[in-house]
Amino acid sequence: MTYLDDLALERALAAAREAGRACALATIIATRGSTPGKVGAGLVVDPEAGLTGTVGGGCGEAEVIEAARRVLATGRPERMHVDLMDEITSWSPAMCGGTMDVFVEFVPPAPTEEGA
Amino acid sequence: MILDAASSASLTVQATAAGASTATVLAVAPPAHAGRRLLLVLETDGGERVRGSLGSPALDASALAAARGALADPRHGDDLVTLADGAEAFVEVRRPVPDLVVVGAGHIALPMARIGAELGFRVWVVDDRPDFATRERFPTAHRVVRADFSDPFTEVPIHNGTHILLVTRGHKYDYDCLVKVLRDPARPVYIGMIGSRRRVRATFLQLLEDGIPKERLAEIHAPVGLDIGAETPEEIAVAVAAELVKVRRGGTAASLRDLEDVAERFFPAGEGA
Repeated sequence: MTYLDDLALERALAAAREAGRACALATIIATRGSTPGKVGAGLVVDPEAGLTGTVGGGCGEAEVIEAARRVLATGRPERMHVDLMDEITSWSPAMCGGTMDVFVEFVPPAPTEEGA
Repeated sequence: MILDAASSASLTVQATAAGASTATVLAVAPPAHAGRRLLLVLETDGGERVRGSLGSPALDASALAAARGALADPRHGDDLVTLADGAEAFVEVRRPVPDLVVVGAGHIALPMARIGAELGFRVWVVDDRPDFATRERFPTAHRVVRADFSDPFTEVPIHNGTHILLVTRGHKYDYDCLVKVLRDPARPVYIGMIGSRRRVRATFLQLLEDGIPKERLAEIHAPVGLDIGAETPEEIAVAVAAELVKVRRGGTAASLRDLEDVAERFFPAGEGA
């Protein structure tokens, strides 16, 4: 993990802002049990540039990307609980047996004034 | 002004690149406040800057307290906290960018710059020789600086997140660099110096004569690296890299410095080099 890899999310957010595009940021804020993504891991969903980062991959991440699309449409944040346990019989490598809470927020295309 | 994720990230990147630490408090519940954030920047001189708001003075006071608490705890990871009125927030801490300044661009600097970059350091290489301080020799470095050792840090940040490794070609140069570093108000998190015991001792004695306190000299990792019997430049770079990880993570492996009798450096009686 190099210094610049470490800044991948920040760079993705800056690129969207630079281009005047809204995007969504998903952050793992809590986990229970075993999960592929750790607390603090994030995913930027940019409608043009695509995905940067990861919240662990697999079905869990797919759910988060769905939520990010809603957040991009409504402009309202969502807190979601992602269950990675109910597929315990599956062979998916993303199957871990834990749950995670993910906060998905709207990132506006430009800074906004209070109350705007 | 609402502090959104992009603005907050940009402020955080700027602050940590300059040696400051930051804590972001992102409200995640209740819905009326969710998505709002407050950013605390703790400057290297201890000064504070606060940006953003969670939407009420009581919440902001409580968020600021959480942010300060997180920054004061060196082991603090990202975490959910409960604030005033049962609000919930996610606290993210960012420490200063881990700068690794390699002074001397010779045969040890080459593997050191590569391994340092892999470990997440922002690597700077400094040398006074134009043929050595080249981008071609150090493709993974953040910057390669040509500077005299009498004033090596004009273009290089020395802050509390800086790691300095002295691998110059002579102890005169180590001495010149150490005088600069030890008289700077910033306290680098790591100072390592390569060299034989004789060379280390000569440098330390000179610094003592200049009035540098023993406690500061005791902070210097010399001999440098963990005790793994390293011999080649690559092995020495690995030993130093492992010592850098130990400083970062707090492991227990033995540093060569700790195996040496520290007092012996200052009272050069007994055996020679």
